[in-house]
Amino acid sequence: MKSARLFVLTLSVGVVLHVAAHSTVVIADDSTLATHKEPVVVAVRRLTEPQYRQSIEDIFGEDIQITGRFEPERREIGLLALGSATLSLTAAGFEQYFNLSLDISRQVFSEQMRHAVMPCAPASPAEFDRVCAEQFISTYGEQLFRRPLSSAEVEARLDAAALGTEQSGDFYTGLQLALSSMLTAPEYLFRIERAEPDPENADNWRLDAWSRASRLSYLFWNTSPDKELLAAARSGELHTENGLNAQVQRLSSSPRVQDGIQAFLVDMMQIDGFDSMIKDATIYPKFNQLVADSAQQQMIRTLVDLLVVKERDYREIFTSNETFLNRPLAAVYQVPFASSEEWAPYTFPDSAERSGIFSQIGFLSLYAHPGTSSPTIRGIKLHEIFLCEHTPEPPADVDFSSVVDSSAATSRERLLDHMSNPGCIVCHQRSDPPGLALEHFDGMGQLRKYENGQLIDVNADLFGNKFVGAQGLGQFLYNDPRASSCLVRNVYAYGAARMPGSAERPYINTQIERFAENGYRVPALFSQIALTPEFFNVVIPQGAQQNTNNVASAASAQ
Amino acid sequence: MSKKINRRSLLKGMLGGATVSLGLPMLNLFLNENGNAYADGSTIPTRFGTYFWGLGLTDTPAGGTRWVPQKTGFDYEITPELEAIAALKNKVSVFSGFRAIPDTRPNLVHWSGHASILSGVAPAASGRFDGATLDTKVADAIGGSTRFKVLDIDASVSRRPVSYSTRTGSTFASPDQSPLALYQRLFGEGFQDPNSENWAPDPAIMLRQSVLSAVTDQRHSLMRSVGHEDQIKLEQYFTSLREMENQLAVQLQRPEPRDACVLPRSPSELERAGSVDVVNSNTRVMARLLAMGLACDQSRVFNFVHTGGTSETYIAGQSKIYHQITHDEPTHAQLGYQPETSKLAGLVMEGFGAFLEELDAIKEGSGTLLDNCLVLAFSDTGYAKIHSLENIPMMLAGGAGGRHKAGQHIHAPGESVTRVSLTAMQLAGAPAGEFGTGSMRTARAVSDVIA
Repeated sequence: MKSARLFVLTLSVGVVLHVAAHSTVVIADDSTLATHKEPVVVAVRRLTEPQYRQSIEDIFGEDIQITGRFEPERREIGLLALGSATLSLTAAGFEQYFNLSLDISRQVFSEQMRHAVMPCAPASPAEFDRVCAEQFISTYGEQLFRRPLSSAEVEARLDAAALGTEQSGDFYTGLQLALSSMLTAPEYLFRIERAEPDPENADNWRLDAWSRASRLSYLFWNTSPDKELLAAARSGELHTENGLNAQVQRLSSSPRVQDGIQAFLVDMMQIDGFDSMIKDATIYPKFNQLVADSAQQQMIRTLVDLLVVKERDYREIFTSNETFLNRPLAAVYQVPFASSEEWAPYTFPDSAERSGIFSQIGFLSLYAHPGTSSPTIRGIKLHEIFLCEHTPEPPADVDFSSVVDSSAATSRERLLDHMSNPGCIVCHQRSDPPGLALEHFDGMGQLRKYENGQLIDVNADLFGNKFVGAQGLGQFLYNDPRASSCLVRNVYAYGAARMPGSAERPYINTQIERFAENGYRVPALFSQIALTPEFFNVVIPQGAQQNTNNVASAASAQ
Repeated sequence: MSKKINRRSLLKGMLGGATVSLGLPMLNLFLNENGNAYADGSTIPTRFGTYFWGLGLTDTPAGGTRWVPQKTGFDYEITPELEAIAALKNKVSVFSGFRAIPDTRPNLVHWSGHASILSGVAPAASGRFDGATLDTKVADAIGGSTRFKVLDIDASVSRRPVSYSTRTGSTFASPDQSPLALYQRLFGEGFQDPNSENWAPDPAIMLRQSVLSAVTDQRHSLMRSVGHEDQIKLEQYFTSLREMENQLAVQLQRPEPRDACVLPRSPSELERAGSVDVVNSNTRVMARLLAMGLACDQSRVFNFVHTGGTSETYIAGQSKIYHQITHDEPTHAQLGYQPETSKLAGLVMEGFGAFLEELDAIKEGSGTLLDNCLVLAFSDTGYAKIHSLENIPMMLAGGAGGRHKAGQHIHAPGESVTRVSLTAMQLAGAPAGEFGTGSMRTARAVSDVIA
């Protein structure tokens, strides 16, 4: 027991030395050697399920099957991207990722696949070939960790591979262990962003080149940096204006940018939770999982087509009646479906009252109860998603005892009955009106004009702004400047994993103006933000390093 | 090179051995004095679990209640909303009058109550706890020698997984949400029948251990340059990794025979509906699997969620969900309480009744599995209509291996809920002398229920 402990101790000393040597390699510029500061971790963001899947596909090919349960994600200030920076891994989650890692490595080194993956061939498949193993680990380690591995990191995997080869008598079984260990490592499962002292100003910190590469790659493609991006990080090119320009140009002009922008839209518009949506079957007999999945697809297709493919004005998501339908959806929307394709473009007529992304059954059914609509929930979500206005938690001391059940026929009247209560009115006068404008859609988003035999009134009054129905709501949102500023802030927060601070307000305001000047085009906004030095700002977290100024900006040199 | 292999192999062997032997002395913690033992003389371990249901039980505006018994001490009478536990009431202690005390913190609706019970702290914001939950402390004490340190189960069929177990306060456990998922976790790949006669260690497990040790080797270099919050996150990651290492080490040991362990059949896929009848039948099926998992000693600690804090369950065909009804329904003029709300509370408690029945159905030693469990059952709120933090219903079920003097009603108006939490931890065998912060800090367990 004692000797084992001793060994662990010497091993960790070895690790320290290796890393010290490694960090000087990362900082390419000689001038940085003058400073004694070491790189610090500024963000630890857990990979999302799509990012995990896409990274594996990009690195090992699309034949790899990934079957397993991923940890639930968490939304903070409206974005999963912000939540991902607060999440760790639970024991059950670790177990899942561990099993995934074993399963993926087994597939990578299967007879059929190993030749496509291996950068070299072992001297003998039955014996450990250190040189070849190291080549594999370094090559794929860099792609998985999004930076070169330290020699200690390589060494640890070589040990696992050697042990595995020895015990199994098979080189590839040994490498499976090495690969599994990289896939299980926090350096793969989390995006670990590091800052280093700025060589041009030793008091400042800047995001290191590898972390810059990751920010760009996940923003534009929602996956790990490819080899070209890693090369630009290695050469230091990414720290130069020209180098950054070239990479942003390359990433944004690739068809893959659709994946990146789509991932952002799905996050910001909260297009998730469809596979666990619950509707009461006796009240909504048309609801089933196929409808739910189709409704989700419809929202995504509509947004991507409008904003990425056609590059239209962002604000048209509130007014456009162009969409896509498949057969299950057509049945719910009660329109004929004649296409032989699975999905077909469709334009709703005015009488359908379907204009704006929020008038699709995806949004309407997601934000409703299992057996009824909910103007309140819809109103809260409209504010939160499109205007970045968060409704505070209901106060605990609201006197519900004075609330009496209403026997009124429509939800609207029942809600208005509650409006006489001063405790309720504070929040509900803000949350409810946009939702009331959508009351022509029931709890699963089906068009209706009557509720319990009574005609439904869809007039709404939001602090003096009057509008009627979904179309009126769409026009209101189209004209509301909060909508585009909300989008700009979200793009920044999504990429940088933090909401811009108050010091960055002038910067964000400039971005909002430029967004408008560019015709409110979302792809242009992505490039515009990625090209600003502020996109790579870092905040040194408390406790990471003493003697540092709190907010460091790469822009300070400008 | 070969030297390296041997050194690592040696290390592997020793570490593996060390992990295993670490688990064993802990057995002393739950040796009970009543000598509750298997036929072969080995001791039956005490298991600990939490059981959560949403929206409390019903009080009345006039100060009355639909659930608090009149009589205190043993042999309390069954009230309308406790009907579901009538058959097992001698194994259940009921705690009434206890409250969460947020001090200067707000009453975060459907959050502060159970956060206080579990973490001892009223949190600053919804969605987070400001401390680790007590189940993790109990698991650290008694959960080390089984395959799963903790089992997290969510029977609620909700839109999102519901779990209130956390080490960091921000990352909550990811529970199994369907009977099939729970079955596969417990009895699928990696399950070793403790009663099998031809057991042999699987050499592949040793190889898997080396996967993890390669990760652990790099821990120090990673942790050196991180801030406080990231450090907490990464610590949790490495805690989870250690649990996986422990799981592998346990699988390399010959399991002790367990008389009550019979491999169950795989359940069918779950009906996706959140109505209370479905949630209750789901609760029963998952409780049955859990019970067998405990009997087969796959875990000794669990967290079971029936319905979440802002419960979305409903009566099939009814357009309003339970949560809405608790707020909207007026107090009936003649009855003096909310009849629909109380009916739903009774239905929700049927889930708890079913849960206890399943634990009690497995014979173990001279009693049942429930006799060797300690289940802390509780809700997020007292009187739900007004989000009350007073009189939050709490119960302790099961004999804790003879240490729980079960079957009592303890009425202590104004006392902190953390006293019951502390009692539960101590009965479960966790080394806890005090629990909670501020006005909820307490070193006083409820001694009446401790043998």
